Amino acid sequence: MRRIGVAAALLLLAAAVFTALGAAAPGGKVVRTAAPLAKPKKPAKPKLPPLPSAVKSRKHWEIGVKCDFPPFGFIDVRGNNDGYDVQVAQRFAQLAFGSKKKVNFTCVTTPSRIPTLMSSRVDIIVSTLTWTQARADQIDFSIPYYSATGRLLVPNNSSVTVPTLSGKTVVTTRGALYAAWTRNCFKNTKLLEVDSPALAVSAVKDGRADTFMFDDAFLLGVATQDRDVRLTNDKFLNVPWGIGIRKGETAMSRWVNAALRYMKKRDEFVKILRANAPARLVSSFLDNVPRPKNTFAYPVGKDVTAICP
Amino acid sequence: MLAANFDWQFIWDHLPDFWEGLKQTLKVAAIGIAGSLAIGIVLGAARAHRVPVVSWLAATYVEVIRNTPILVQIFFIAGALPHFPGHPIRLEPFTIAWLAVVVWGGAYNTENFRAGFEAVPYRYREAGLALGFGRLGTFFNVTLPIGARIALPSTINTNASVLKNTSLLTAIGFAELTNTAYSLESESFKAAEVYFALGVTYLIVVWTLSGLTRVVERRLALPEAR
Repeated sequence: MRRIGVAAALLLLAAAVFTALGAAAPGGKVVRTAAPLAKPKKPAKPKLPPLPSAVKSRKHWEIGVKCDFPPFGFIDVRGNNDGYDVQVAQRFAQLAFGSKKKVNFTCVTTPSRIPTLMSSRVDIIVSTLTWTQARADQIDFSIPYYSATGRLLVPNNSSVTVPTLSGKTVVTTRGALYAAWTRNCFKNTKLLEVDSPALAVSAVKDGRADTFMFDDAFLLGVATQDRDVRLTNDKFLNVPWGIGIRKGETAMSRWVNAALRYMKKRDEFVKILRANAPARLVSSFLDNVPRPKNTFAYPVGKDVTAICP
Repeated sequence: MLAANFDWQFIWDHLPDFWEGLKQTLKVAAIGIAGSLAIGIVLGAARAHRVPVVSWLAATYVEVIRNTPILVQIFFIAGALPHFPGHPIRLEPFTIAWLAVVVWGGAYNTENFRAGFEAVPYRYREAGLALGFGRLGTFFNVTLPIGARIALPSTINTNASVLKNTSLLTAIGFAELTNTAYSLESESFKAAEVYFALGVTYLIVVWTLSGLTRVVERRLALPEAR
């Protein structure tokens, strides 16, 4: 009995030492890097509404991002989250806590992102979230921070276009706008719904689907790297993306919208775009980001997936 | 909590969607059950009668299929065959769907029928041969009618599994029942309603299938076993 007691005490002691070390290490690092940088050239601090108390007391953000969706949310070669969405989230960390490291990322997928947000595992989701009425009934949207257009990815020798989709097989990701649009507007088109964009690309390359219908930003990246596939000239379903916030969290909405407006005014989205898109493609995407003179609006009251070409 | 927010109207409104998915599930399952029974009888007979070469190939096939997860088999047909060196095989999603369950069910039915045919007492076959039937004649007139009926109860299990395993085709995005429900949930976020309806639908369908086959089994049961 006594031996067990001694062993337990030793274990507890070891655990305490480990936690103390673990807690000390990152804390020390932050102080070291932040101190010299912060003093000399501190930018004019933006006037933002107070941070929601849950985030403020935790001293870092918990944000859901895509990990399979370059160039918006992906894991880079070093295993770090990166991309347009990730850098927007890091800018939030900088605006809130003065360091872009003060954010913890959780990987979400198209079908899992809203459940992840609603179950409070993250504060907000910055995850290529296109506005839809059904989604807006479940969660609140920030003001838009990007606007995507739908395009078709086809094999080089294919003649498929939007007007000739009848009888063809379209692949897209589960829960995406494109699935509902295809079901509503192309009754004779077969639909494959998969869980990740990568699976959809292989469905086209393996001949299981005739075309992958998806966001231009993702598809352009694929088409520029893969010589077997190309994009058609069709553009459709131009709907802005927003940051997902749990319903009724007004303090959060106010802070996020103020931060986005501040970034828009300073044309920061273009900077983030340049950091993530291949240089030769940046110019074709300048209209997709909010800029001082480029404002987007959600199609509130309209079911975009029911508007057929 | 579940009862308070449960949206029956949602299920009602989306019954046509479930029906679309169910139609695909039933189509694939029907081909799957018929195909796997055919494979089972042919290869089961080859195994039981130790037909050279065919029997060895059948044994390899059974071992490969029974010792790999069906999900891996689906991914293999959908993802690996199109990249087969020298001779890529590109298949339609529907073809992949029924092929996967036929191949899977065929392996299990081969074993079911092998056991059934081997359970036919040797003296019955001797009697058939003595009556002047050839080897094939003996098989069709003696071994098959008796052995298949012995194998019937275990094939019912396999049939139900073939039907249930079609749900795994959701992994390649084939629009069967589970995939339809999963997509519906991703767009509506009504997880409780969708998965409840999904579970009930499978329960009804598989139960009906088992019930029907049990009736057939009782009708076909060997007189001495009745």
